[in-house]
Amino acid sequence: MAAAIQVATLHQLSRPTTAALFTLPSAPKDGIFTASTHKLMPSGSAGLGSNRQRFRRLCLRSVTASVAAIDYPMSRYRHDEDGKVLLEVKDLTAVIAESQQRILNGVNLTVHEGEVHAIMGKNGSGKSTFAKVLSGHPDYEVTGGTVAFKGENLLDMEPEERSLAGIFMSFQSPVEIPGVSNADFLNMAYNARQRKLGQPELGPIEFFTYVYSKLDLVNMKTDFLNRNVNEGFSGGERKRNEILQLAVLGAELAILDEIDSGLDVDALQDVAKAVNGLLSPQNSVLIITHYQRLLEYIKPSYIHIMENGRIFDCKLGRVQQLTLRRYLLQKFTMPVGRITSTNGFHVLLK
Amino acid sequence: MAASALANTLCRNPTPFFLCPHLSQVSAPRTKIKIKSKCRPRILTKSNSILATYAVLSDPFVLQIAETLEDSVSSPLPTSSPPSPLKKLRDMSSESLLSHSWPSRKDEPFRFTDTSFIKGSQILPIGSPPHESSLLSILADTQLPSLVIADGYIVNSLSEFPALPDGVFVGSLSNLSSEAAMKRVLEFLSNFEGDLFWSLNGVGAQDLIVVYVPEGCRIESPIYLRYLSIEGSEDASNELPMSNPRVLVLLEKGGEVDIIEEYLSGDGSKCYWTNSVLEAVIGEGATLNHSYVQSQSLAAAHIKWTSVRQESDSTYKLVEVSSGGKLSRHNVHVQQAGPDTVTELSTLHLSISDQTQDLHSKLILDHPRGYSRQLHKCIVAHSQGQAVFDGNFRVSRYAQQTDASQLTRSLLLVPRATVNVKPNLQIVADDVKCSHGAAISDLEDSQLFYFRARGIDLEMARKALIFSFGAEVINSFTYAPLREKAKSHIAELLNPKFAASSL
Ligand SMILES: Nc1ncnc2c1ncn2[C@@H]1O[C@H](COP(=O)(O)OP(=O)(O)O)[C@@H](O)[C@H]1O
Ligand SMILES: [Mg+2]
Repeated sequence: MAAAIQVATLHQLSRPTTAALFTLPSAPKDGIFTASTHKLMPSGSAGLGSNRQRFRRLCLRSVTASVAAIDYPMSRYRHDEDGKVLLEVKDLTAVIAESQQRILNGVNLTVHEGEVHAIMGKNGSGKSTFAKVLSGHPDYEVTGGTVAFKGENLLDMEPEERSLAGIFMSFQSPVEIPGVSNADFLNMAYNARQRKLGQPELGPIEFFTYVYSKLDLVNMKTDFLNRNVNEGFSGGERKRNEILQLAVLGAELAILDEIDSGLDVDALQDVAKAVNGLLSPQNSVLIITHYQRLLEYIKPSYIHIMENGRIFDCKLGRVQQLTLRRYLLQKFTMPVGRITSTNGFHVLLK
Repeated sequence: MAASALANTLCRNPTPFFLCPHLSQVSAPRTKIKIKSKCRPRILTKSNSILATYAVLSDPFVLQIAETLEDSVSSPLPTSSPPSPLKKLRDMSSESLLSHSWPSRKDEPFRFTDTSFIKGSQILPIGSPPHESSLLSILADTQLPSLVIADGYIVNSLSEFPALPDGVFVGSLSNLSSEAAMKRVLEFLSNFEGDLFWSLNGVGAQDLIVVYVPEGCRIESPIYLRYLSIEGSEDASNELPMSNPRVLVLLEKGGEVDIIEEYLSGDGSKCYWTNSVLEAVIGEGATLNHSYVQSQSLAAAHIKWTSVRQESDSTYKLVEVSSGGKLSRHNVHVQQAGPDTVTELSTLHLSISDQTQDLHSKLILDHPRGYSRQLHKCIVAHSQGQAVFDGNFRVSRYAQQTDASQLTRSLLLVPRATVNVKPNLQIVADDVKCSHGAAISDLEDSQLFYFRARGIDLEMARKALIFSFGAEVINSFTYAPLREKAKSHIAELLNPKFAASSL
């Protein structure tokens, strides 16, 4: 019941704005965020310093016609929009190659170096499709828009070139590859990267030593490497395996598609720890998730909401603001602090 | 027996003569003689053969091969007569040969397998062993002790074995001294009726290689038989040197042994015909692990029979990897002779050039509680490449509680690559668990994408997936060095670069 209502409300939310197109506004400065955080502090709260840590702002801004973002000023990761643009997606539309059914309806998203972005949204809204289109999945055809990665046209690249250029997508449902051991698979991928970098490749034994050192990151035993890729793996093991691959291969942009689904709390913490360990001022992460709980461990700079093949639009009227509050509260238990019509809106996380 | 006695007398008859059709009745009652539409009387100049007597009844081409085979087996040692079991084998085979004509595409077992390449050649049985010098380079890579069989002849100087337990015999029939073992050899020799190629082998076998494992004896290290084909003609010439290696494996009650058969080539591109037979009798509770690797020349014909008789509680496991030959055919026949047997057949066939890889297997279950598993995989990676599989399980009404499953999977990698699969279960018993399945496909796109998403290019991804498809069978080799060797061989076939860099 609740879910059905949400569907309806989100449609209402996005409908009035589909036609509206905004230019990219100047980025809000840190100072503004801080000021609004102050305003959002609940009355009666004790010492500013300690309580500040407990507040996070959700900032839904009209970056383009279709971006909603939650901002964490306390995040230790940069969200410095003067930093280099890593990924720039403009008006991206895509169809399923076979049926020509349209799934992406004009996605806009800009990710700078060192930022952590999260995309949330209900099942079937197109999140995985977006991730797969970025990684060049042959099931989809791009029909419009542009994607630049480090200034280059990503859409011109083969999937393997995108990977070697620095994009890593962890699959929502990684496939089994019977007959190919995890160690061999990783070794092949690692060597492909080394070749691209003009670095020496590693033989199986050297590689084993190298990869062995990464196993702790995902809290897995050595026999994990001898097993065939994802064959007979539990959901949690598959996710850990994706993170292991990320740890071995590295990436400037890691797209983690529901890396948290099907994980128990321990596994979730392991995965989050591994991802946090991989973050650097240069590396960016795009987290796709259903649940807020992952975001308690990996703090995003922005949260976007995807609906109906586009990233949520936020030129909101009053009624829509209210429904969005309710939606966020119900779906993600995110209490919305305040919504302003000019600056986008700021939301307090619990 | 009557028939073979008759054969002996006929052999001694020095004068050529015509044979009347009614003489066909003298052959063993089970033998069916095909009478050609027109019985054209023929005078044969070679007369010291029973073959001549049947000339008018049989396929002239078959007779011609049989005659040259007889010449080749009798010529080198005119004085010493072959040991009697070998003689018996030749006589029995000569006789059954007569009931066969050269197979055509109209014959069901050869519907998809074109043997005209052999028929169109001039067949030259190899009548003497090759020079040792030509063997050394090929054997250089071996660290494993093995019995070397070159062009059908045992090469003693290059063969070595670890100390074998008492009573175990591996070698030429002529060196078999144990009377008890000899008696068993006679009992089980050619204990089965194969096809034309089976009989040709019996006629042309230069030697009989015997593996005898006495009761309760377990042999730790594998018996490694390495078959080399040295003699060969150039691709363009029409000549086809032929060898007929023959092995009989006798495992007495409770015995256990691993046998590896590896067929190699002297020179990768030569033309020859290896026409091989292995017979095995697995005694009660005994276990035979049989590994078979065929990597002969891509211009060669390789025809192989494996016939197995399983007594109660016995186990037979076959793992095969075949990648060589222009025409390669493996006939596997397993006959259950008692209840509670275990039979596992895993085969991998690769057609990476314009070659045919054919497996015809038949498993006959006549007793209760047999357990059998068959996995056949083939990869066809050439537009004129072909794979053929005919896998038959026959579960008779006595074979209650049989548990049998059969699976064939084919990977067709290029347009026009062909596979003909005919998995079939004939089940008469009512209380059985049987399943079978056949799948023919290209590589999985989702798997290919997984590789590519990790930076591995399409070509390498394809190769890795093809390789892994085959690995399922290769990994069943019980003997690790063989496993590794087969893996690197396949990797090499798929791409030398791939073998060197990535795996
Ligand atoms: N390859 C495909 N074939 C058919 N339908 C697809 C395919 N990929 C996505 N879809 C459809 O597109 C919609 C979006 O799917 P998806 O991107 O997986 O959503 P999400 O990840 O947000 O749950 C769904 O309705 C889904 O069924
Ligand atoms: Mg999804």
